[in-house]
Amino acid sequence: MKLSSEEVNSIALESRLLLNEAELAGAVRYINNFLDMLDRFKELDLKDVEPFSFAEALECPLRDDTVIAFPDNEAILHESEHVDGSYFKVPRIMEE
Amino acid sequence: MELYEYNLHELVEKLKSKEISPSEIFESCKKRIDDCEENIHAFITRTEDFAKAQLSKELTGIFAGVPTVLKDNLCTKGIRTTAASKILGNWRPPYDATAWKDLRSAGAILMGKVNMDEFAMGNTCGNSAFGPTHNPNDISRVPGGSSGGSAAAVSAGYVSFSLGSDTGGSIRQPASYCGVYGLKPTYGMVSRYGLISYGSSLDQIGPFARTVRDLQLVMSVISNYDPMDSSCFREKAHDFTHNENPSIKGKKIALVKEFQGFTLDAPIADAMNKIKKILEDEGAIITEVSLPVVSRYAVACYYALAMSEAHTNLERYDGVRLGYTVKDAAGIKEMFERVRSYGFGPEVKSRIIAGTCLTEPTRCEEYYVAATKVRTLIAQEFSRAFGETDFILQPVTPSMPPKIGEADEDAMKGYEADLYTLPVNLAGLPGLSFFTGYADKLPVGLQLIGPRWSDPELLHAGVIIERHTGSPKIANGGVK
Repeated sequence: MKLSSEEVNSIALESRLLLNEAELAGAVRYINNFLDMLDRFKELDLKDVEPFSFAEALECPLRDDTVIAFPDNEAILHESEHVDGSYFKVPRIMEE
Repeated sequence: MELYEYNLHELVEKLKSKEISPSEIFESCKKRIDDCEENIHAFITRTEDFAKAQLSKELTGIFAGVPTVLKDNLCTKGIRTTAASKILGNWRPPYDATAWKDLRSAGAILMGKVNMDEFAMGNTCGNSAFGPTHNPNDISRVPGGSSGGSAAAVSAGYVSFSLGSDTGGSIRQPASYCGVYGLKPTYGMVSRYGLISYGSSLDQIGPFARTVRDLQLVMSVISNYDPMDSSCFREKAHDFTHNENPSIKGKKIALVKEFQGFTLDAPIADAMNKIKKILEDEGAIITEVSLPVVSRYAVACYYALAMSEAHTNLERYDGVRLGYTVKDAAGIKEMFERVRSYGFGPEVKSRIIAGTCLTEPTRCEEYYVAATKVRTLIAQEFSRAFGETDFILQPVTPSMPPKIGEADEDAMKGYEADLYTLPVNLAGLPGLSFFTGYADKLPVGLQLIGPRWSDPELLHAGVIIERHTGSPKIANGGVK
């Protein structure tokens, strides 16, 4: 299945990536070559095969459901340029 | 002999007996770095001030006073951690990765954070926002990747051991190219807490060193259960005690039938013959296993899963909480787009787009779900194979390290070259990349793979091979 430039650009936008013309051309070539490689899967009968999981991980390891305070909230907030008090403040979410 | 030339187990003994002091080994390593770094460019961030602060306090633990470096995708509290990406800016994590915390508690001294392919995506250490690292054995060549800085630092004698991470060969391939030992442990043996995620079901932290015995020492410190990593297995205890005289008499060591027709560079083919002979002389039985699904489908399966997981893991980089950001965006969508478009490099963008494509509802079943099923077949195939053999011997790469800038233009062709390493990650197996000798002054490495949790036995086999091949020399590092 070959994807067009428009389709690849739309996928890039979903990923919040803006591509220039050269990047888009490269991405189209890359994705289509990659999908060609994945076409090999069609040679296999996967109908009754379970998706992979590690045999030892069948039981999900759970911790007690208790709140553990992080010792240094300031160190987290200090790394952001979008802080208001003890919160992160983001630009407007609703578009005009 | 300069102090920096000591291997880890020798350093541990000399520091313990006070024959040398932590400050002396620090100064020796620092000088070695000063002498070579212009040629090698292994570091993203040097942390000598942090190291001096560590040295000013009382050091306890098995590695008390031993210098080390970490791949720059391992979080270090208060120390810049970049994953070799512009998008993380000057981020200083608020916590330590568990593996580093374990080393630090054991007294290890941090000399710095070293180069890698951006977010561990690549096999040359050239996809870095900080420029390429050079192979200390021949600075015109790549050191391999993605943990190229970690391998180069040990090869050049900057430090006696380092940590890297391996998602599809990122420890084993640079270990082979740089002429050191590298272990990709069983998935779940070393905590991934604080490792910047690429493909979470494939990523594993592991050590580099110049002797197998040194890998054993590092593994004895970092292989612990960690409640902060739900993929860490609680019930497992591991004994990495060094044995001077291990035996592989009667053990079966298999070659992969389907790989026999593939072309190898002559030094690698020669090394395969040499190591087979060594193992036979030690009483091992050389046999053959068939891995048809691995051989034909592992590369496609791996990249489908790695890219799908990467696309999800890298969604978090949006400029809000950490790293590179913009402050004048009109809305959040514009901010995300500007931050991510500038912050990620070309290879990372390609993989994010591919991962998004494969996991979209219209394509998910055909590609992502299919890949998870192929992975089951691959794991089953290995499981059957390890019913017939104890270990598998195979190359790490089909080719010797290329010149910098000569990597494949065709990305898919480059991916196919990872066939010998990435199946190990798909099945969660341990893989040891070991030194076999030199060909035209370049080191040649091979790989031994074992069943899950066989890491200690794998290293015992490595000790036997090392007894015959000798340990690698410290590379010249481009010093005239």
